[in-house]
Amino acid sequence: MLKLQDVTKIYAGKSEVNALAGITLAISAGEMVAIMGPSGSGKSTLLNLLGGLDVPTSGQVIVAGTDLAMESEKGRSLFRRTGVSYIFQAYHLMPTLRVSQNVALPLHLAGMATKEIETKVARALKEVGLESRGGHLPDELSGGERQRVAIARALVTDAPLLLADEPTGNLDSARGEEILQLLKRINCERGTTIVIVTHDHNAASACARLIKLRDGRVEGDSAVAGGVA
Amino acid sequence: MRFLLRTLSLSYVRRHTAKTVLTLLGVIVGVATFSSIESAKGTLVKGIRSTVDRVAGKAQLQITMEGGVPEAVQEQVRALPGIRATSPVIEQIVTPEKGELGSLMVIGIDLLGDREMRDYGFEGDDADLDDPLLFLAQPDSAIFTRQFAGKAGLKSGGSIAIKVPKGVKRVAARGLLTPKGFSEAFGGNLMVVDVYAAQELFGRGRRFDRLDVRLDEGVSIATGIATLEKTLGPAFRVETPGKRGEQMEKIVANFVAGFNISSGFALAIGIFLIFNAFNVAVNRRRRDIGTLRALGATPRQVQLLFLAEALVIGIVGGLLGTLAGTTFSQAFLKMMGQTTETLYGVTSSGIVHLPPVVVLESLCLGIIASLIGAWGPALTASRISPTEAFAKGTFQARPPGRSGLRITVGVIALGSAILMALRPPFGGNPFIFTELLLGGAGIVLLVGPLTLLLLLGLVPLATRFAPVAGRLSGDTLLGNARRTSGTIMAMALSLTFVLGLGGYMGSTKKALERWMNDSLTCDLFVRASANFNRPDFLFPGGLRDDLQQLPGVKSVESFRAIRPLYQGRQIQVTSIEYNLLLERIKYDFTQGDVAAMRRGLIQEGKCVVSDNFSRRYKLGVGQRVELVTPSGKVSFPIAAVVRDYGSDQGTVMLDRSQFIRYWQDDRVDIYDVSVLPGSNVGQVRDLIRTMLAGRYPALVSTRQEFIAEITKALDAFYALTRVTLFLALLVAFLGIVSALLISVAERTREIGILKALGAFPAQLARGIVLEALLLALAGLVLALPAGNLFAFFMEGPLAELFTGWIMSHHYPWEILLQLLVALPLISALAAWIPARQAGKMKIVEAIEYE
Repeated sequence: MLKLQDVTKIYAGKSEVNALAGITLAISAGEMVAIMGPSGSGKSTLLNLLGGLDVPTSGQVIVAGTDLAMESEKGRSLFRRTGVSYIFQAYHLMPTLRVSQNVALPLHLAGMATKEIETKVARALKEVGLESRGGHLPDELSGGERQRVAIARALVTDAPLLLADEPTGNLDSARGEEILQLLKRINCERGTTIVIVTHDHNAASACARLIKLRDGRVEGDSAVAGGVA
Repeated sequence: MRFLLRTLSLSYVRRHTAKTVLTLLGVIVGVATFSSIESAKGTLVKGIRSTVDRVAGKAQLQITMEGGVPEAVQEQVRALPGIRATSPVIEQIVTPEKGELGSLMVIGIDLLGDREMRDYGFEGDDADLDDPLLFLAQPDSAIFTRQFAGKAGLKSGGSIAIKVPKGVKRVAARGLLTPKGFSEAFGGNLMVVDVYAAQELFGRGRRFDRLDVRLDEGVSIATGIATLEKTLGPAFRVETPGKRGEQMEKIVANFVAGFNISSGFALAIGIFLIFNAFNVAVNRRRRDIGTLRALGATPRQVQLLFLAEALVIGIVGGLLGTLAGTTFSQAFLKMMGQTTETLYGVTSSGIVHLPPVVVLESLCLGIIASLIGAWGPALTASRISPTEAFAKGTFQARPPGRSGLRITVGVIALGSAILMALRPPFGGNPFIFTELLLGGAGIVLLVGPLTLLLLLGLVPLATRFAPVAGRLSGDTLLGNARRTSGTIMAMALSLTFVLGLGGYMGSTKKALERWMNDSLTCDLFVRASANFNRPDFLFPGGLRDDLQQLPGVKSVESFRAIRPLYQGRQIQVTSIEYNLLLERIKYDFTQGDVAAMRRGLIQEGKCVVSDNFSRRYKLGVGQRVELVTPSGKVSFPIAAVVRDYGSDQGTVMLDRSQFIRYWQDDRVDIYDVSVLPGSNVGQVRDLIRTMLAGRYPALVSTRQEFIAEITKALDAFYALTRVTLFLALLVAFLGIVSALLISVAERTREIGILKALGAFPAQLARGIVLEALLLALAGLVLALPAGNLFAFFMEGPLAELFTGWIMSHHYPWEILLQLLVALPLISALAAWIPARQAGKMKIVEAIEYE
């Protein structure tokens, strides 16, 4: 499903920052993987490369047989539209759009018919338990609910890969747990490959595999006892 | 895209109504200026054409001659084969005593013989000429259109006072015209009088303005023209009414084309306001853009989203601007009409209608301006990567981009423009367009980097005078380089235009004033008409002897000017008694000298030409100017070339004896009277007035009064500068308001933190006012050299290209002074709303703002 081959990422500036220093790893379809590491270890950079939000300085990022590093800007946009979905720590919901409109956004970008969009949005909202909140604005929701809207937006495209950047970072433990359970259910029921970047050990333990990063390198890669099989 | 527009864009508009309105105003001001000028221009030009056509009636040919067609020509023409009818015509525009009725076109015709030419609509129930014999018997008889009579509350038999050269005269309405055909000319403001009464009324002597001709059935226009030209000779022009209308339309259209500068300028500024607003919108919405991109929006989709927003703004702004333009168009028509009447003796009256083509053009311009303005920011938005968008502060922190390349290209463009301007002008309009394009591009590219450099110098100064406010405003301006340079760019461009145009007009005025002081040296000027360019009354030549007899008069010179066509352009041919004139005037010679001029003009029958004539037609001393006179074509050798600003198309000067000899016309425009040393100018003036009272219309002015009147007429001609100045100040105001509103909104969190740390609302307000002042000051400082360059270009190559005049530079200190007073006031006013907004901000909400 996912393969990184000797990937480096250097941020140029007044002083160069080596965010990733030659990472090689593979993630199989249907896996639920946690990536942990201290601040500045390259977690978010790695996630951005996997999601086609950014390109590596060198190396290959192969997702479903396609090297994202070789893709054009448009090609990566299309990949983000159908091949991957993202959940952000800060949710990144459009504050002026209703919940249902937020969820429908990627489908509109893909030019899908309105009727089909309505069906898919209703199903995604039901899946995250927000079917009654479709008409609300994000400001009118709690943090947990906002994150569930973000998950519904990620689910609505039926992308085979779901990337989550600190999905529980802004939530209290109860709401965090709810989100983790939801992600586990999605992984089990839909077979969606999920990669979670987190500082939260509890979140990591919900996954089947844990990759540890330090200074832009893989420090450890192991199965999590009791995680999702 | 529709979904994104309906949701994301619309919600942005709702949340930022003030900013959206300001952006819209940019388009509205540009489009309103364009549509009002364009529709007024169209109405004026078409009105003139339509008046010519309608007044012509069934006439197939019209005979004209510089100075008027002698009466005897009518008999000569009537006797020719193929001529069915001829009719003499005199046309004159006058104003009723009640000025609100608008200008009135007086048509003098031979009512009994004119039925072959024009349909007066006397037949029928609603129109009548009360008594044709009474009409002809009474010299105060006039016929009015029903439309005008209704407006003036005039009934058949009633009278109305009109201003004619001899003063105010009451004329009696002895008939009303049905509103159709002929009577619809000049917007219906028409008065018909007997042609011989008109000759007396307007000092035409025994001449008509033209002779209308109708040909026999079966005689072609070409045959008619050939017969008439062969019989009458080259001094007469024989043309169809359509051709004559076209000629007038062309002359007037060239003049009103100058107004395009104002509308083009307004639109350019509108583009900058849009650019600025979109730049800021992209900045503010970078997170939304990042989210869209992360969800799979392609760069093209993001760009299209912003362009679609610009399209909507262009359509709405275009429509509102077109509507707003209709309210100004009438005023523009009045202004243009007055000037064309003064300059060319033609004008048009009526209500401005907005033609569909102008609506369409305005709408398209609004859309194009909006799309051009938004193009750059939309492209920037499409290039924002999701990771960059989500990283806080990176967008503002990002440097404006390849400034080295920008500066290099800017210097090359501006340098090329300057180098081109230093060469003699070539290539006409493409040359001007290239010059303006290169110069404008150079300034636009250099303003950004120069702005930052300037602010780096100004901010420490501001901080010294106002430590807290200075630091706050400086940080904001320098921290948002894109927004700051965008605002200053719009301001600098508008002020450049004002200072450049002002400099040019000031230089022209100064050159003309200097020339007037040097050449208008006699003590009294006796005129029959207030119109300098197109006198509506001419004195008989014999009056000079009467004036000469008056006690205290030293000498009298008879000045006459005609404006014939020379190689398709309307030049000026002047004549005066040069033996007297050269005693009191010192000419500035570019070729020849005063001895050659005196000998050439007085003894050898030569001419002297103005410097601009010499340049335009590439003719100098020793060469000849061939002029068409009633006596045939005459070739005058050039004795000298002098600086003269009497005509922007060039002047040929002849001694009066030569003029009378070849033109056979001794009438006079102005008598220049010099008084004997020790005589009282006022007393001589009174004597002249008494002598002329009741005989001729007479405006007797002293030298100072005469120069002041010409200066006043020039000021009216340059009213365009005031319109431009107003537009520039409006732009400055809009630019500063929009920049400050955006600045305050963007710094909400920062302002909250400052307040939390104990900043007073007054301190914040002072910072914002100072920000506005710094913006205005930077714009003005950059506009000073740029405006000078623009003025030099207009005074140099441009003036040479269009007028052949060369003038020295005069800095527009008056305009600069006005700007120095107005700009701080405008800046403070523009800062008032954002300053209040900042002062009222709630700390907790502001700190939480993202």
